[in-house]
Amino acid sequence: MSKVKFEKIKRVEKIPLPSMLDFYPLQDEKHTRISQFFKNLKEGHLTTTKCKECGKLLWPPRIVCPECLSENLEWVDLGVEGELYAFTEIRLGAPLGFVEDVPFCVGIVKIGGLLISARIDEASYEDLKIGDKVRLKIVELPDGRVFYRFSKDMEQ
Amino acid sequence: MSMRQVAIVAGGEAKAGKRAASWRDLVQEAGKALFEDVDNLSPKDVDSIFVGAAQPERFAFLSYVAPLVAEYLGVTPRKVIARTELACVSGQAAIRYAWNCVATGMSDIAVAIGVEKMYPPDMAEAQTTMACVLDREWDGVNCFSAPPIFAVTAQRHMYEFGTTKEQMALVSVKNHHYSSLNPIAHLRKEVTVEAVLNSPVVAPPLNLFDCCPMTDGSAGVILVPAEDAKKYTDSPMYLIGSGQCAIGNVINNLASLSEWIPLRLAAEEAWRTAKITKDDVDIAEVHDCFTISEIMEYEGLGFCEKGKGGKFIEDGEPYIGGKVAVNPSGGIMGCGHPLGATSIYHAIEILKQFRGDVDRGRYVKGAEIGIQHSLSGAANQHSILVCSREPR
Repeated sequence: MSKVKFEKIKRVEKIPLPSMLDFYPLQDEKHTRISQFFKNLKEGHLTTTKCKECGKLLWPPRIVCPECLSENLEWVDLGVEGELYAFTEIRLGAPLGFVEDVPFCVGIVKIGGLLISARIDEASYEDLKIGDKVRLKIVELPDGRVFYRFSKDMEQ
Repeated sequence: MSMRQVAIVAGGEAKAGKRAASWRDLVQEAGKALFEDVDNLSPKDVDSIFVGAAQPERFAFLSYVAPLVAEYLGVTPRKVIARTELACVSGQAAIRYAWNCVATGMSDIAVAIGVEKMYPPDMAEAQTTMACVLDREWDGVNCFSAPPIFAVTAQRHMYEFGTTKEQMALVSVKNHHYSSLNPIAHLRKEVTVEAVLNSPVVAPPLNLFDCCPMTDGSAGVILVPAEDAKKYTDSPMYLIGSGQCAIGNVINNLASLSEWIPLRLAAEEAWRTAKITKDDVDIAEVHDCFTISEIMEYEGLGFCEKGKGGKFIEDGEPYIGGKVAVNPSGGIMGCGHPLGATSIYHAIEILKQFRGDVDRGRYVKGAEIGIQHSLSGAANQHSILVCSREPR
């Protein structure tokens, strides 16, 4: 038996979800200059920025137009109805924070001249086909942050 | 400024796989193999080092890894040292920068080494790590990590061109066949079309055997001016051309989902700079992270027409003895995909093929030109190196 002292030490075993392991963006004006996007979303509007100088529609929303370097951007509404361009269903290999939701559908939605990725709710893979109409849906996290999804359920 | 021709004179690899070894163990294995593969050169002679590592902060909780790797290899760089990060192309980025430094005269002996340790104790944590490669706040948040983005890519390719799951499965069958003959490969078992189609569904239309495995690994190469190459080996490999192109990042800004336009542009630039045509390519080590990827690479590299990639493999064209030997190593599908090291494993495969240092069942006899292709993210970025057995 060695004569070296052996001691058990303590370590924090549980910590709250660190913000940098959280997939959802920080949304208020203290953390981002596009907080208006999330304010609009909270009111039921999916919006993005459009350059008032060159007319370019930008996704994701920006503070500077990469085409002409203008900061003169406006918020435009993308509407509530989209069309499914492509989709799949997450069955294996989901990241932390999404594991509990498996299986769930995700897709690419054609809306307002854009092709944006989103969760597709109220549907399983077999229910969906390319070209299906889908409707905007807003989800709220327990801390009040919001995000957009789409739903197969058009009756809202 | 006149540029120097550059050659790769040595390659060394750790065994790829689910390894009972740490991040730095893997680096040491590859480093030892690397310096044992070269004559008249020791780690102390190396003046520059580039370390390809995609996500050491997440996978191994390490940052600032280039000096760490140099220390473990016994290298004391006096010219250039840096880590290169470009997700799945981090390893090729290391080769590119080493090549540039040697070509311009900034370095005379450079190491490019890649490493990734992808088996942390918790696999869900590894999936989380991978899900911040695509724009985390706009695509990752919607769970678009690697399998879903390639699933929708496959769906669109099937929808637009009639590609079938059976054709995709053939890629897995071919690459697992070659990896069964490759001792450093992660997966050494053959698969059948039925086994691929019946494997668990990850994200439809992708089954488990449509996907490359998660893999631990490390691989390195040494680059020197071509005129010095024979001092270090009898059989150098010459870098004669390259092409790289990136278009957009978030899904909305991709050039197309069903056609990899940045690949077509990178290929045009690679053929132009190497002064070759696609028909001169004997070996193509390409980025088969998913079966659909290799099918779209036949198309993007111009080996067949757009939309005809499925038929290309049905006709046996990407096998050894066909139009072009695609992934005779077993590819990422069979060898595994340790992100920062993958491209370097594939570059070493071409070196071994030129030397005839591979199993006869996967030997491309008489090969003169090999390309190493890697892609990253949502396939918005593609990189190609053109390698030659003879100097140009």
